[in-house]
Amino acid sequence: MQYMLIMRADDDAVATYREIPFEQVIEAMGKYNESMMEAGVLIAGEGLSDASEGFVVDFSADPPLVTDGPYGETKELFNGFWILEVSSKEEAAEWASRCPLGPGAKLEVRRVTGPEDFPADNEWVQKEEGWREEQAARKAADAPGGVAG
Amino acid sequence: MQFMLIMRDEDAAAVERRDAPFEAMLERMGRYNRAMADAGVLVSAQGLASPGTGIVVDFSADPPLVTDGPYGETKELCNGFWVIDVPSRDAAVEWASRAPLGPGTKLELRRVHGEEDLRR
Repeated sequence: MQYMLIMRADDDAVATYREIPFEQVIEAMGKYNESMMEAGVLIAGEGLSDASEGFVVDFSADPPLVTDGPYGETKELFNGFWILEVSSKEEAAEWASRCPLGPGAKLEVRRVTGPEDFPADNEWVQKEEGWREEQAARKAADAPGGVAG
Repeated sequence: MQFMLIMRDEDAAAVERRDAPFEAMLERMGRYNRAMADAGVLVSAQGLASPGTGIVVDFSADPPLVTDGPYGETKELCNGFWVIDVPSRDAAVEWASRAPLGPGTKLELRRVHGEEDLRR
């Protein structure tokens, strides 16, 4: 099963984090990522650019209303995530607890839905499986040492 | 550049989505996903299980404190996301606006860091 680890912080944690030398942050996160890769549990991980650079599309209007700026307050936002393939919720919690984060930071851990959450005989669920396989094949072809010809 | 489209609901929108016919929702989302895959912009997309089944790891304690349950209120959470690869911010707005979502739902769009952000 897959779990998504969502980085959450309050204002103080963000301010503290900014004061830590960038090289040190890269090293701590790099070691954490490396340990998950070596264990074969890391599926994906991304960092997001500053929330002030983001924008919001609100579907309460038709056509949807687009506004610049952050979606909400710091604690409502997140700046990065990991997706792990693990055998249990406990294992997800164990990996999450090893993350190099400090006071004021939290990881929200959520199970990622898979084919088992949807009716297998649904046309659109089957089509989705199709594009997921295409994506996986493309990714494998793009990877260094992949099968791209 | 890559953008992450983060689904955000208000309470009423979350209830409405839960009560809507599942098959119709699968079809609308399926068509949207297919359109993005066909255009070659879809990098990844995932849905998340109900927030109540999640856990929270709080790093204010040492060792971190693990508790069951949702991180916060509905509007603070996300139940799914897409990552798209598009040539511009305008293209991201265009794709986001086509999502089959309704009143009380928002998409938060954030640029995903690339290698260029690490060379500072």
